[in-house]
Amino acid sequence: MLSIFNSIPTHMDYKGQKLAEQIFQGIIIISAVVGFVYGLIIQQFGWTVYIVLTGFVVSCIMTLPPWPMYRRNPLPWQPVIPETSAESSQKKKKHK
Amino acid sequence: MNTVLSRANSLFAFSLSVMAALTFGCFITTAFKDRTVPVDVRVSKVMLRNVDDFTGPRERSDLGFITFDLSADLQPIFDWNVKQLFLYLSAEYTTKSNSLNQVVLWDKIVLRGESNKLNLRETKSKYFFFDDGNGLRANKNITLTLSWNVVPNAGILPLVAGSGHISLSFPDKYETPKSY
Repeated sequence: MLSIFNSIPTHMDYKGQKLAEQIFQGIIIISAVVGFVYGLIIQQFGWTVYIVLTGFVVSCIMTLPPWPMYRRNPLPWQPVIPETSAESSQKKKKHK
Repeated sequence: MNTVLSRANSLFAFSLSVMAALTFGCFITTAFKDRTVPVDVRVSKVMLRNVDDFTGPRERSDLGFITFDLSADLQPIFDWNVKQLFLYLSAEYTTKSNSLNQVVLWDKIVLRGESNKLNLRETKSKYFFFDDGNGLRANKNITLTLSWNVVPNAGILPLVAGSGHISLSFPDKYETPKSY
């Protein structure tokens, strides 16, 4: 059961993580400013809270799933080097 | 930020911090506001009796009956940091045994969005105006004041006295209770 959840890819690459953080901070701060001004004008603090909650939901949708735009810069890993001799693997086992 | 849970965590924490900052902003925009409004208190009838006070000193104590008119416009008090007002009409006077007596005669909760105009005519007090002795008879200076607690969304809970109060004097004689 858990393996099904673990098999869903959720990771972002490093630039994607930075982008996601900037996006949700921007959305929440903008919604906070808009909500504060609107609430101050109509003198209802409840509307401020609703607008910030809307920003929260929008940024959840935008940044929680690993959308393709957060996975555009994958790390260039070294190619797998095949093990040459049996001795090296034995030494590693001893260390463990 | 690598997994969904860590992103959800930082998103939630950031939203809460922003919400706290907004709440503080709501408090600071209203913190220095004067919440005093003029109040018009009038007393139309005063009656004094001397009855047994079974809750108090087990002696005959003074019981006052006051019929009053009250009008005030509470609209300027309300803003986005006020949830409700707790209004109460209190009587203050001095007796020989106590330098300050305060008795709450009437109260009312006004919620946000309700009618903001207070207009009462010929209203009887909600609570008994008992003195703990015989200090009401011939007391020449009993002050009625309307005060209110402002219940805010965030911040301090101010206690405001309305501007406008009335002084009244009680009669020298007890009205004899009728016996049926």
